Amino acid sequence: MIEFKNVTKSYEKNKSDALKNVSLFIDKGEFVFLVGRSGAGKSTFIKLLLREIEPTQGSIFINNYNIANLSKREIPFLRRKMGIVFQDFRLLENKSVFENVAYAMEIIGKSEKQIRKRVPLALDMVGLSHRINHYPHELSGGEQQRVVIARAIINNPTILICDEPTGNLDPETSYEIISILEEINRRGTTIVVVTHDREIVDVMKKRVLTLEDGALTVDDAIGRYGYEV
Amino acid sequence: MKFSSIKTMPKNVVRDTLKSIERNNLMSAASILSVIAALIILGIFLILTINVSELTKDVESRLELKVFLQSDYTDAQKLTVQQALEDSDMIESVTFESSQEALDKFSASLDQYSSLLSGYNSQNNPMPASFIIHVKDPNDLEAVQTLAMTFKDKGVEYVKYGEEYVQVLVNFSNFTNTLSLVVLVVLSIISIFIIYNTIKLTVFARRREIGIMKYVGATNNYIRSPFILEGTLLGLIGAIVAFLVIRIAYYYVLGLLSGSSFLPVGTTLASPDLVMGKLIYFFLIYGGLIGALGSIFAIRKFLDV
Repeated sequence: MIEFKNVTKSYEKNKSDALKNVSLFIDKGEFVFLVGRSGAGKSTFIKLLLREIEPTQGSIFINNYNIANLSKREIPFLRRKMGIVFQDFRLLENKSVFENVAYAMEIIGKSEKQIRKRVPLALDMVGLSHRINHYPHELSGGEQQRVVIARAIINNPTILICDEPTGNLDPETSYEIISILEEINRRGTTIVVVTHDREIVDVMKKRVLTLEDGALTVDDAIGRYGYEV
Repeated sequence: MKFSSIKTMPKNVVRDTLKSIERNNLMSAASILSVIAALIILGIFLILTINVSELTKDVESRLELKVFLQSDYTDAQKLTVQQALEDSDMIESVTFESSQEALDKFSASLDQYSSLLSGYNSQNNPMPASFIIHVKDPNDLEAVQTLAMTFKDKGVEYVKYGEEYVQVLVNFSNFTNTLSLVVLVVLSIISIFIIYNTIKLTVFARRREIGIMKYVGATNNYIRSPFILEGTLLGLIGAIVAFLVIRIAYYYVLGLLSGSSFLPVGTTLASPDLVMGKLIYFFLIYGGLIGALGSIFAIRKFLDV
């Protein structure tokens, strides 16, 4: 569950606000696209969710918890409830596929036994079982993104945030990635996909939020790509 | 949640730390060398300090205070003075030396020239009788002197101890202490700075990884620990090597000096066991500490994501 209540974010006093009085509610188990031009406030939205930055005004609730009140020490524990998928993958080059996924479990202190059991399951879910001992540079872009998704879901987050997950991929691979996300969504994980990919948004027929110049202009329950280029 | 993460941490941390030292082998070597250099210089000053303070202690413990009696003292006066001195709790021992004993001692100390004193006998003995006093604490020397002087002209002629000699030693001891402290501070700053730079390189090389760790929900302590461990390890390795160098050098110098007449008669360098025992603890704590401090400074600004 994600809720923004009148959230405004301004980075510098003289510049116009990056987000202007945005209010929205994303329920548990939803699949939502967030679209908008460059500079419309999408990155600000994600940074706020990850508590990388704090809102200038308004409040943000994640699973009914106001994250504006979070102390620095609590931020890691907020992030453990969320999985994150990046456009540029951010895999560790010197670690194998298995190790990259296992890493996310090591960090939060899971036992080796749990790691050995769960990592293959997650890799199976994204269809990468046969690549388990390969290194990132041996994989295609789509395969790397699947590793990232496996890493993002390995700790059973309630929310999965995807920042341009198909930005570096060809259309066919993009569909594979999106269908994996859909499968994850069917198992109950809330998914927020920030994207430029008009085709995918139109085909998926999911809820679409559109940001324009920092303001939330369109919120369609079964949406199409909201703004015209 | 927090506790379980501490449980599995050491293995990952140790693995990452060793990899990192290996990867930055050149800078790691430079850091270790700088710690070694700093600690060797520090070690020399510390050994100097320890020796001076041992020497001071030794001399102080051998210090005696002499209460000379008037040539015409009475037995009653002698008893009163002796009683007063023995009652004082500042005093370790009181020994009476008659004028005859003093003359014999002096004569013995002249060795082959003792015939010079042959004209003196118990009738015209110029040596005064005295009490030889050992105090428990050299700082009380003056107080004991004051106490004995209350009997001036009631049997006591004058009181004497090596004030100036002691004062020079104490001053020198204070000077070496201060000097060591200054050297300690300056060298600490330099060493911390060099380790800081090494660890900063490590941190910089792994900044992507740190970013990813932060997004996956690693706590700051978890991210920090391998870097702190790395810095501490560099400091400890430096400390151990520096200790070995100092130890070998100290025995070597000791060997050279024992055969020569360079040192004043009756003194020697502080025993190696004493010096090395003090030094090894200091080196290990110091090496580890500056390593850890340098790392903590280095990683601080990279943790804000």
